[in-house]
Amino acid sequence: MSTPSNQDPRLDQAAASDESLLASHEKLLGTQPDEKARYKLVPLTLLFFFSGLIFFAGTYLNRYSGLFDPHIYNENSLPTTGAAVAVKIDPLVLGKKQYEAVCITCHQATGLGQPGVFPPLAGSEWVNGSDDRLIRVVVYGLQGPIKVMGVDYNGAAMPAIGKVAGSGFNLSDEKIAAVLTYIRQQWGNSTAAITTEQVAAVRSKDGDRKAYTAAELLK
Amino acid sequence: MSSPSTHAEVTAADTAGRWPLLLLFASGLVWLVVSGVLALVASIQLHSPAFLADCAWFTHGRVTALVETTFVYGWCANAGVGIALWVLGRLGGSPLRALNWAVVGTLFWNAAIALGLIGIATGDATSFSLLQMPGYVQPLLVAAYVAMSVSGILAWNGRRTDGTFASQWYAVAALFIFPWLLVAAQAMLVWSPVRGVLQAVVDGWYVQSVLSLWLAPLALAGAYYVVPKATGRALPSYEFAPLAFWTLLFVGSFSGGRHLIGGPVPAWLPTLANAACWMLLFHFSVVALNLRGVFSRGGTAFKFISFGLSAYVLGSLLDAMTSFRGVALITQFTYFATAQQQLALYGGISMLFFGSIYFAMPRLTGRSWASGALVRGHAALTILGVLLLVVSLAVAGWIQGHDLNNAKIAYAELSAHTRPWLLVVTAAYSILLFGNLLLFVNFILSVCSACCVRSDNLPDSSSFRQPSAMEVPAL
Repeated sequence: MSTPSNQDPRLDQAAASDESLLASHEKLLGTQPDEKARYKLVPLTLLFFFSGLIFFAGTYLNRYSGLFDPHIYNENSLPTTGAAVAVKIDPLVLGKKQYEAVCITCHQATGLGQPGVFPPLAGSEWVNGSDDRLIRVVVYGLQGPIKVMGVDYNGAAMPAIGKVAGSGFNLSDEKIAAVLTYIRQQWGNSTAAITTEQVAAVRSKDGDRKAYTAAELLK
Repeated sequence: MSSPSTHAEVTAADTAGRWPLLLLFASGLVWLVVSGVLALVASIQLHSPAFLADCAWFTHGRVTALVETTFVYGWCANAGVGIALWVLGRLGGSPLRALNWAVVGTLFWNAAIALGLIGIATGDATSFSLLQMPGYVQPLLVAAYVAMSVSGILAWNGRRTDGTFASQWYAVAALFIFPWLLVAAQAMLVWSPVRGVLQAVVDGWYVQSVLSLWLAPLALAGAYYVVPKATGRALPSYEFAPLAFWTLLFVGSFSGGRHLIGGPVPAWLPTLANAACWMLLFHFSVVALNLRGVFSRGGTAFKFISFGLSAYVLGSLLDAMTSFRGVALITQFTYFATAQQQLALYGGISMLFFGSIYFAMPRLTGRSWASGALVRGHAALTILGVLLLVVSLAVAGWIQGHDLNNAKIAYAELSAHTRPWLLVVTAAYSILLFGNLLLFVNFILSVCSACCVRSDNLPDSSSFRQPSAMEVPAL
């Protein structure tokens, strides 16, 4: 066979006819790569390469498929079984949110209230005193005059915040506990936290009732 | 034509199929040039956003859709189907039949694309990558493609020899698979759209399948034919070619999910795609082994095919590398993904098409290409253009990916960082456009020279060497 000299860029010469091309390749397909026990390097290498790829792809698929769960979007996580894990909520974060939604209007962001109208929370003996008394004020509200840190306040009524009849806010026991814990840790206050159970206990003991007065609470 | 029996190299299949196949190649080249102009516009807009921004038809989103559509459905489809029909005709051993179907199909296909382009430009485009042509032209595309394929299928069914060759498998697969792809994608995205994120999944599958199951087989059909034909030697390691073929067909479309890495889809979809990307390396390594003879010789067709083969294999490696999530974190949804696409479409598939067309044209016209200088110019400019384009897009994408992951970098800074590389991209598109114009001119000149001489001079018997029988490697 003459090697075609491809000098002319305008025409590529053919070196084999179509019939011989078909025939010779057909012959190749009929043969086994290791015919006559001649172990050729290329087929062996390809065999190992292909097996390696299958192994790698299979392992990869197994590791990162999230067990083909349609709800798994992170390839590193696995589907969870059983009950969902309860999320722990920081009462200070929840409490701050409640304070800013409800209390801040009267008691202000400083916790100092409005002199002569709304009593302060910072340093208040009502806030840092008895747990149950504080819970009652917030859950049921407070009417009438009250003396805080030696100053008399008679200007406004504290509305009911808890989940009781006549409450405009209906905050859950958990949220009440959180906001109380929050005000007990702010503005220099540092009194023990109030738990959800304490709030629930007060609420079930007192039932549905109207707002407290300072005199009633101090009894 | 006067005595075909004495010119075994220019067969009856060539003379019968001359005009229909030249029509396919010509339409492909026209769209290639149109796509080049539009790509230039789109790339200028990336660094100079005000360019043509006031003209609704040429706003960036529409121009990018036009570029993709003209390149894939205009250039790649016409050229690829032309090559597939030519290869099936030659290997079938008798002249192509039902060529009037091919001509009508080609005319309707191109009419549909023109209509689709107007639809996109006027705002009727769909939102799906590679499926932007409006719903009203889509059925026409399917019908026209089926008509174009008829000759190829008939040539395959009526082949003279029982044995088949790799080129035929790839060509027939591409002819059969594309209508199925297009109909499936249309049904799920255009006619009765699936809901929500599933649309992105279907489109990812479609985009990858167009590349792996349609365009790549069309390109390989030509390359598998031209390489042994011009070297005169049987392909080495050919016994693995069937396995490589079936690996591509089975695994190819599974790798579609790699377009969704980092997207809102269940984790197993991208994972499956990544595994498929790695499995495909087997296909690519066998193709490289089979066609390695292309690096041992010169010649116009081999210049393009060797570049195309390298890009095809390199692109697969790059796909496999970027399918790792750690790398995808940087490259996904950036210019890097565009670089990968251009490496596959321009560097891989189009270069293989060019090689096959350079080999086929003289056999269709019966004469050599009109100008050797234009051939050399096209080769040099295209190789330079593709290298510049892919490298600068990849660098721009890498910078963009790093900047996007850093919250401290403002978007304006990011644009400033990528701007120099985007200017290089524009330069690369200009070079490519100029190169493709050279090819277009050469094509016209060659066709004219074939038309204008008296028919008894055809084919130009002196220029074609009589091919001998193929060397069969000793076992």
